Amino acid sequence: MKLIEEPSLDRFREECRAWLNDHVPRDPRPPEGLELRAYDMAWQRIQYEGGWAGVSWPKEFGGRGLSVLEQLIWHEEYARAHAPTSASMFVALSHAGPTLIVQGSDAQKAKHLPAILKGEETWCQGFSEPGAGSDLAALKTRAVVDGDHLVVSGTKIWTSYAQGADYQELLVRTDPDLPRHKGISWVICDMSLPGIEVRPITTMSGYAHFAQVFYDEVRIPLSNLVGSLNGGWRVAITTLGFERGTGTIAHQIELANTVERLIATAKEMIDPVTGRTLFADEAVASRLAVLRAEVAALRSLTVASVSRGMREDVPGAEGNIPALYFGELSRRVNGAVIELLGPGALTRGGAHDLPKAYLESFKWAIGGGTSEIRRNTIGERVLGLPKGPRAI
Amino acid sequence: MIVDLEPTDDQRLIAESVGGLLADALPVARLREESGHGARPETTLWTSLAELGLFGMGLSEEQGGFGYGLPEEMLAARELGLVLASPAVLAQMAAAHLADDALRPAIMSGEARCAFASLGFDGTASLYDGDEASHVLLLGDGAVLLPKDAFGDWESAVPMDETITLARATVPAALPARDAIADRISLLIAASMTGMAQAATAMAVDYAGQREQFGQPIGSFQAIKHSCADMAVRAAAADAQVRHCAITFGRTPDDQREIAAARWLAGNAAIENAKANIQVHGGMGFTAECDAHLFLKRAHLFAALGSSRRDEERRIVADAA
Repeated sequence: MKLIEEPSLDRFREECRAWLNDHVPRDPRPPEGLELRAYDMAWQRIQYEGGWAGVSWPKEFGGRGLSVLEQLIWHEEYARAHAPTSASMFVALSHAGPTLIVQGSDAQKAKHLPAILKGEETWCQGFSEPGAGSDLAALKTRAVVDGDHLVVSGTKIWTSYAQGADYQELLVRTDPDLPRHKGISWVICDMSLPGIEVRPITTMSGYAHFAQVFYDEVRIPLSNLVGSLNGGWRVAITTLGFERGTGTIAHQIELANTVERLIATAKEMIDPVTGRTLFADEAVASRLAVLRAEVAALRSLTVASVSRGMREDVPGAEGNIPALYFGELSRRVNGAVIELLGPGALTRGGAHDLPKAYLESFKWAIGGGTSEIRRNTIGERVLGLPKGPRAI
Repeated sequence: MIVDLEPTDDQRLIAESVGGLLADALPVARLREESGHGARPETTLWTSLAELGLFGMGLSEEQGGFGYGLPEEMLAARELGLVLASPAVLAQMAAAHLADDALRPAIMSGEARCAFASLGFDGTASLYDGDEASHVLLLGDGAVLLPKDAFGDWESAVPMDETITLARATVPAALPARDAIADRISLLIAASMTGMAQAATAMAVDYAGQREQFGQPIGSFQAIKHSCADMAVRAAAADAQVRHCAITFGRTPDDQREIAAARWLAGNAAIENAKANIQVHGGMGFTAECDAHLFLKRAHLFAALGSSRRDEERRIVADAA
């Protein structure tokens, strides 16, 4: 437990700040669809040309190869500069890319890694299915080997940014007779192949950021397998990225900003019933104080994760603790905004679309593992409690 | 400002040596026996604790300390919470920061004895485990160290936490205003409460892994597992915030707000985890022979040392008021 005082880190922060200040796009970001994709790819290209592509990727694969502390600084400055989140580039940069780096063939790495870094290809994830959500190993999308191809039929769901995505990291069942974790393969799916249909799904916030994808005898070359045939489960669960908990820092800082804006608003806004500011109400002040304390705790939990990340090669299940805290706190913070600011907060549109932020906040306690699944993981893998009933 | 929240090797060693001594000498089970009340085992330990350097741990070398800082002191305070050590032990650590040059050596050696007292709404001080104390560390908004005989007559009373002794007296003088030392003491109290929150989690997890109903350990049921996971999250959040404060203390304009957040989170974690631990233990948890209630009573006592939930909330948003 100590202060880390390294002049080189201070210089690095200055470097990040200066570059971001000069290069962050200032034109408004399109809310969805192909325009959003084009915007995100252009921003990725700018980062590539500035030498900031793949900040967490190892240098030998074209990344910036930042240490975990430098990543922390980069993401802090990124949030401060109000740079756009990676959105349509997220799966490529934070999931598919790191998976290929660790488990891909030389040909796969050569084809995709530079293209991702340059913002020339976007990826989506094909893991969840209508019948396989929290229980991912129940997935049924079938892939049959036919010569040097896999023939894929089935469906995937909750596929974020599927519209316009170039590739997909696709989990398929290649042997239905093996135990369920053992008959799964991880394959690179070219989204332009015949037989693929993408149907956008509108979320509760009104945007179509995700989709259901249908596969009708889609022929994918066997050379697109990552890892071995039927070895996909291991590929999926051993890919944890290189970020060590720094990936959501920008979202966390945004959450802190929301609390500070709410406090500022509560000090000015007059409650017409009492004739006093909202903040003058002890119950309101108390609620805001608790949110501020919890935002501080989230920051400290992330610093604790980064501190462990400096020492561990592979992040442990403890990473679920800040993730669970963040998901639950996002809902509480955005819920407080909607509940405290009166009927005006229920109006859509404008620079601060408060209902949008509120409705979107529900995703953090669901996507990437629901709060309930995270509690199971913390209970079993952090605390060592016995496992509950499971399908084999 | 970038901080590393993992203990250094040196810090780990300090926590282990304090923790080792406490775990051997002060098992929580001692508190279930009549003879364990009133800080008696702690009393016999006083010399060992002084020799370990506990009572001047956070003092600079100029003040006669070892040159350790708040992080080391915080880790030791956390160990005290894990075994529910008497609040008087923490008071003795805290008092080293308030004592003048003449008194300080006696506190560090354990020759002078200190105990915490809380300022109540009615203006009286409630003194905890102060039977053998020569000095009282009185906590309200501010903190002050006074000779015990500066107060009027001490009248004994019965506390909710029956494992400690309580005496009450009228406060002789007004408390000083809140200052950095009061914040520092508040952080040490928070650190002890993170220890309590952690110990209650460990106790619940241990029981949930062993106790069987419906033919399986109750910890395999999500209702219990999720309750334990929430305990772990509350303890981890409070612990991370307390550690963060221990490093940044004195270096930011936000000390008071950050420490108030730490104190709120730690108090909440200690109390809520104690409640959850009782619930996980079911019928056993409601009995006197199970340790679970000891954590609840002690957590309430520490949370109320010169403070309350609302006091900390006010401090957290004081800049906005």
